[in-house]
Formats: sequence, C-alpha cells, structure tokens
Amino acid sequence: MADDDKDMFICRCEEVTLREIEQAIDEGFVTVTDIKRVTRAGMGLCQGRTCTKTIARIIAQRTGKPLEEVLPKSYRYPVRPEKLQVVENEEFNDAKDS
Amino acid sequence: MMERDIVVIGSGPAGLCAAIEAAEAGAKVLLVDENAKPGGQLFKQIHKFFGSREHSAGVRGIDIGTLLLQKAEELDIEVWLNTEACGIFDQDKVWVVRDKSTSLTIHAKRIILATGANENVVNFPGWTLPGVMGAGAAQTMINIHRVLPGRKILMIGSGNVGVIVSYQLLQAGAQVKAVVEAAPQLGGYGVHTAKVRRAGVPFYTGHTVLEAHGTDHVESAVIVKLDAAWKPIAGTEFSVDVDTICIAAGLTPAVELAFGAGCRSVNSPVLGGLVPWHDESMRTSIPSIYIAGDVSGVEEASTAMEEGRMAGLSAAHSLGYLEASRYRSRFEAINHNLLALRSGMFGQKRRDAKEAIMAARKG
Amino acid sequence: MQRILDHPILGPLPEEEKVTIYVDGEPVEARKGEMIAAALMATGKPYFRKTVKRHEPRSIFCGIGRCTDCVMTVNGTPNVRTCVTAVEEGMVIETQMGFGDWGGKR
Repeated sequence: MADDDKDMFICRCEEVTLREIEQAIDEGFVTVTDIKRVTRAGMGLCQGRTCTKTIARIIAQRTGKPLEEVLPKSYRYPVRPEKLQVVENEEFNDAKDS
Repeated sequence: MMERDIVVIGSGPAGLCAAIEAAEAGAKVLLVDENAKPGGQLFKQIHKFFGSREHSAGVRGIDIGTLLLQKAEELDIEVWLNTEACGIFDQDKVWVVRDKSTSLTIHAKRIILATGANENVVNFPGWTLPGVMGAGAAQTMINIHRVLPGRKILMIGSGNVGVIVSYQLLQAGAQVKAVVEAAPQLGGYGVHTAKVRRAGVPFYTGHTVLEAHGTDHVESAVIVKLDAAWKPIAGTEFSVDVDTICIAAGLTPAVELAFGAGCRSVNSPVLGGLVPWHDESMRTSIPSIYIAGDVSGVEEASTAMEEGRMAGLSAAHSLGYLEASRYRSRFEAINHNLLALRSGMFGQKRRDAKEAIMAARKG
Repeated sequence: MQRILDHPILGPLPEEEKVTIYVDGEPVEARKGEMIAAALMATGKPYFRKTVKRHEPRSIFCGIGRCTDCVMTVNGTPNVRTCVTAVEEGMVIETQMGFGDWGGKR
C-alpha cells in the first residue's frame, strides 16, 4: 500500500488513520477491543459498527491471527446512541402494561 | 415490569414472519423496531424475488412487505415503532428506548433477534468524501425516499447487491458509469448482471478503486487493475468522472444484542463473519433467545422469512402453544422450504455454511 | 440532487403535503414525513457536517441510522441522525461543525 494511503481513515467517526492502527498493532495491541482502547477507533458515535470488521482484517493480515481471535465477542449496552438523561430515567420496575 | 410471551426485535422480513408465526400459534407477541415504519429493508427491494412459488418468487419485495404487514395487522400483533432495543439482561429482559425519550425494560419469556446486518466497507483514500456510500444507502435513497444520491455512479462490487442496486439506479434515472469487481469473476446472479450489461454499463473484473477525488464531494475516481495477488498494477490506472461511489462489499450480521446477551459465537466466513450459534429451530446457546434472518448468517430475504417462521414457531412451541404433531408438521414444512432455497450454485454454499454453524459445538 | 418524479416500477411520485424547514438559515421546501437527509439531498446539499479533527465534509453513508455520519444540529441539538429523523414544519437544521454547539452541556 502506498505511503499516502496510510493517512486514510479507518474509523470514520473518531478519524483514526490506518497508520495509527498499524502502529498500535506493532506495539502489541492485537484485538479490536485493545485497538479501540489505545486509538479510540470504534469508540465514536457509531460504536464501531462501520470499522470493526476492517480493523479485525488489518490485525489479522498484520499478525497472522485468525479473525475470530481478534474480533470482539461481547458488546456493551446500549447498542444504540442514547442520551444519558433518558437512560437515567429508566422505568425499570414501574413500566405499566400499555 | 410488563411481560410478553415473545419479544421480536426487528421488523424486517425475518422479524415480521417470526411475529406472525408465533401469533398464529397463539403467543402474545410484541414486535419492536427502531424505525418509524415496519418492514426493515424489504420496502426498498423493488425487484422480483427468486425461489419457488411458495416463496412468493416472482413477487417484488415491496409487495411481499405489504402482504406481511396486512397479516400482522389481521393478527392484531402489538408493534412498537421508533423503539430501539438497547440491551438484553438476565437472558429474558429487553431494555428498550422509545421515541428517544422513554427507557423501559420488558420481561420477555422468549426473545427473537431479527436485527439484520450492516454493510461492509471498502477503504481507499477519499472513501470518507460525501458521495461515497453503501449501495444499500443509495437503494434507500432512490426506492424509499425517491431522491437520486447522484447522477453519475460508480459501483464497487458485482455481487447481487451491486448489480441489483446498479439496475435500480438506472431505473431511477442515474447513469452507472462502471461496475468494478476486485475478484477475477463476476459475483452476482446472471439475470441481474445481464440486465445491467444490456444497459451498456461496463464491468471491470480484477479491478478496484484506487482513490476518490473531490473537495466537498466526489468528483472522480481512479480505477486500477489488480494482479493475481490482488495488488494494483502500476500504469493501469484510469479515471472516471463520477459524483457517487457505491460500495457493495457484502454484509456483516448485526450481532451486538446477541453477543451482548452472551450468545455463543461461531465464525462463518461465507455468511458474513461471527454469528450466534443456533440449531435448526433457530435457538441460540441461550435457550430463551432465538435468531432469524441476516443476524444468523447473511443470506436473502426469502430465507430470512422462512427462518423467521421457524424461530416464531419454535419459540411459541417452547412456551407450550402448539401440540407436538402440529409443531412437527409445520417444522418440516418450513425446513423443506429452507432446503429448497438453499440449493443450486449459490444456495448449496450457504446450506453447507449453515450446517457447519449448527454442527459447531454448542459450548 | 433531484427527486425521482417518475419511476418505471414505483410510478409517479405521490402528491405530498409540503413543510418548510430552515437549513443554515435558508427556507427549504420538504415533503411532509420524509427524512431530513432526503430533503437535503434533493436540494443538492454537498455535505451535512464537518469533522472534529480534519474538518472534512461528510454526508450520508449508510442511510439507515447505523453509521451516524449524516448527523447535524437539529433544533439546537447536535448529533441528530438526519437519515432516520423526519422533517417537521419549521425545523431548524444546521450544518454541524465538529462536535456541534451543546450550549456548554457536552
């Protein structure tokens, strides 16, 4: 891949480049979850919905690890972007049958 | 806490059929969907579906959608729109946010996840420019919103989505400048490919997009030939004048809720990557959670509908709503339909992949 | 870009009530109930926001509320997904710059 390609974004939301992700891999961060922790890739508004698979592929290609080893196996809630104010007002036990 | 027999998440082809089948069995079903309208991606499928007659083959996706909605209404199925399923707790509690303002939790004796899939991306310098979008996004714009995203289109990917959306862009009045396919051969069904070809659209196999140019919006794209190792061959670059680049690079199952709930995963490269393990009845490793449609492995709307029926039937049966003989005969009928849909050149590969998922250790 | 007024499968564009929305201060006519992104694309608006770091333009990408690239500031609230948010009469829509203005509440 040409050198200027390294400046293209992999994570659109947090604007994390291929170069930054490859550097993190070379520093030993070799799962999508770890890459997220150190670069913020996948931590933006879309929560990795767009870049997770790409990052997994980049890690797999660079390290030789199988995809299933680098992909996240768990997800945190909420799986959609919600305002904290709404979440705080959880009607957990009070919700009436509508 | 409010309680329902079955909460179905997602009202696309799989979710609608699951809700209908379960309601027909007598279960009290709640169908939730994050969108303002039910139907998922069905209402942008304006082409005729393949398959045998009992699968509404030859009928357009939009018309199937209308029929399913009518059926759901006849059965008086409770539908919550603008409702985002945000999480699953304790295997049977669904946390939803309604209208972006009310957060509540529903106790669901059974949960059916029909969350669909997300479009894959292709990265190249310029891929974040306005005008570069998923092929599905362009399809939504033209067939749902009736707005052209651009006039001069470049399609990346010659699979079914790539050729079907190319054809629909032509129908909508856009010009499709080219379809590029990185693989050495075309990927989509012949019928759709031929239609696009007949319209004079050039197909470039063994080619990819090297970069997109533009300031505030795409103005052109550079296409390059790939060698046998899929590396660009210097000197083969050429530029196309386009304002829109559509990416049709496959789909990835939307597994966040399933895996967040703790469903065991299986890797299925043919069906889009990690999917929740499931058996023939569409039950996951968590006995109260079923799945159907693309989230269980990316296939087609027709298979999604049958899987939905299977999940709805099985979930209702597990709650005691169907006597064994009735369950058995319906189960066999749906399974028969699924096998029929998973035959032929494209289908057999999907059938093998499905069987591999089911054969994987439940763990 | 342009509305698809006639379509070989879907037929003519059905009549629809019009609403007026305000896009960066300018009145824009939209079809009642349509998504903000559709109304803006119909006007040919090249981009919907500019990013935080490189101030790059962005527009719709997934079109179904998943990728969040099409977010704008709507009635004063930033980060509203315009592809899944319907227009309303008098709605004030602004091209979002970076995180947008949260009125000190971010």
